Amino acid sequence: MRESILNIVQHWDLISNFARRDIKARYKQTALGLAWSLLQPLSMMVVFTLVFSLFAKVPSDGIPYPVFAYSALIFWTFFSNTISGGTGTMVANATLIRKIYFPRETLLIAVLLAGLLDLGVASLLFAGMLFYYKISLSLAALWVLPLLLLQFMLSFGVISLTSAAHVNFRDMGHALPLVIQLWMFATPVAYPISVIPGWLRPFYLLNPMAPIIDGYRRALVLGATPDLPALGMSMAITAIILGVALPVFRRTARTFADVI
Amino acid sequence: MFDTTIALSGVSKQYRLRRGWYVTSLKDEMGRLAARLLGHDVEPREDFWALRDVSFSLKRGEVLGLIGMNGAGKSTLLKILSKVTVPTTGSFMTNGRLGSLIEIGAGFHQDLTGRENVFLNGSIMGMPRREVQRKFDQIVAFAEVERFIDTPIKFYSSGMLMRLGFAVAAHTDPDILLIDEILAVGDASFQAKCLNKLAELKEQDKTIILVSHYLTNITEHSTKVLWIDHGTVRMLGDPNAVVDAYLEHVSVDMKTEDSQHEARDSDGDRPISILDVTLADADEQPESRFDREGTAVIDVTYTASRPVPGAIFGVSIVDLHGYGLGGVVTDPDSVKITAPVEQAVLRLTLSPLLFNKGAYTLDVYALDPKTKRHYDLRRRALRLVVDGHRSDSRESTGYIFYPHRWEQLK
Repeated sequence: MRESILNIVQHWDLISNFARRDIKARYKQTALGLAWSLLQPLSMMVVFTLVFSLFAKVPSDGIPYPVFAYSALIFWTFFSNTISGGTGTMVANATLIRKIYFPRETLLIAVLLAGLLDLGVASLLFAGMLFYYKISLSLAALWVLPLLLLQFMLSFGVISLTSAAHVNFRDMGHALPLVIQLWMFATPVAYPISVIPGWLRPFYLLNPMAPIIDGYRRALVLGATPDLPALGMSMAITAIILGVALPVFRRTARTFADVI
Repeated sequence: MFDTTIALSGVSKQYRLRRGWYVTSLKDEMGRLAARLLGHDVEPREDFWALRDVSFSLKRGEVLGLIGMNGAGKSTLLKILSKVTVPTTGSFMTNGRLGSLIEIGAGFHQDLTGRENVFLNGSIMGMPRREVQRKFDQIVAFAEVERFIDTPIKFYSSGMLMRLGFAVAAHTDPDILLIDEILAVGDASFQAKCLNKLAELKEQDKTIILVSHYLTNITEHSTKVLWIDHGTVRMLGDPNAVVDAYLEHVSVDMKTEDSQHEARDSDGDRPISILDVTLADADEQPESRFDREGTAVIDVTYTASRPVPGAIFGVSIVDLHGYGLGGVVTDPDSVKITAPVEQAVLRLTLSPLLFNKGAYTLDVYALDPKTKRHYDLRRRALRLVVDGHRSDSRESTGYIFYPHRWEQLK
């Protein structure tokens, strides 16, 4: 753990260069450029509003449904993009890994950083929506920062495992889109936690993303404190994932060049 | 002890051979696991030792030449030294910043500009951003791409890319430098630049590991030579002694078996066939090793099915890379096939050889000089090894040993 953090600090220049490369390369020769960061959560919001709110009449805790959905979608998009990008990043940089030594974690952090930019762009629209619906931020909005940190750690742990697995088993690449989709429906993105039956809730909250996404919505839209006990559980699970993932990644990364 | 910059002890590297392509699938692994649990015999995985028990150490200012046949383990050793992978057993340490001129430009991204790539590649090679900033103008000037530095590199020519990659790598200011076949790439002026840089680094007391098939380069630049053969250290020590031993081995190992009989138009008209080619010394004794001022006698046995008065015969001398060094052809007026020949021998005497120490191969052919079509062509018909140290100890570099003398006037 300490070694990982040290590696990240020492190689900050490399990480930021990788992140810059990822961002620049992604939008070169595109007409819409950064607007694509916005279009993904925006189109999901429109679909969700039609399907879940208009057709299925899913409750939204008294919040206008578009705001309800979008407040979760921007963070979920950040999560799902970093998971799929992070899982594939070793293989995407295979030529580099085969030829040059550098700490492999830097590629993972770079994916997370590049994702933050998309989150920032998508948040601009969110600010506009809050203004339109006359929802004002309270001090509770500051909860977003620790929540983001927790999401960052969780994502880092998950992609440490999945990217290492992907190097050896390309099955990962096929399984991932499916897993992410299922994971989204197991997370309160399109619906509130309140619709989950009481007996199911303890199991439901084993999903570490559930209290995090719910927390963002409470902090930003409802001006309330996140569900702290559930968040504690999420932190514990994140710690376990990191505890397993970091040593596994460090050990397997040494021979990525041989198998990639 | 403080001077030691690289030390390897008992380094071995094992690779697992995979039947398919590099990728295994989960299904495959699960299948093996299930079979083992059910008590079935699982086909053992084939393992392969690319390196076995390699030990050596280098001090500041030493230049190690690394030689060996293709597949001997040179690349694996470089990968371990550059930390791209780790040894399976054994330990190794380096002391100082490591730079490599092996995979220049590997970190380039096609969509980014030259400027962006310099920063990206610099940081991949371990240079802090500030250092890249400081050296930026130098790097760009060295690469001679000033005008295009803000153009995406996908529009660069391959020469520009190579120069830019080399420029970044050469400015990492390493203490230990790994160089692989650097002299084989680029045009003449770029090669000269590379050699200058190499000389500069040698003067700065850097530790250098140089891999090359050009043995004259190896003896010219190295202070020590390591010969690896099938993953093990065959010999380590004085450059000339190791290169001589290596050449001896090469001449024994490579027989004429790998000679390729190649005719351009095998289905068409083929009036002349080369039946056999032999190599002998001045006393007509079969020999494949020669003194650089010695005599080589080449006998070409051929048959001709009909008169081919215009045909010429030729012998080309080619280095181990297939690069032609020179050749001789018959004069169509003196060697003239005016009637069918069942079997005849054409003798070529090369005397003195004048080739520098090294291993060479000979291509032998019969050609129609008007259409440039080969009646018959034998690639790598013979292997000829020149060992330069029998008659005198005068040194010369490159492929050709010029007859020469030095005199001190006044």
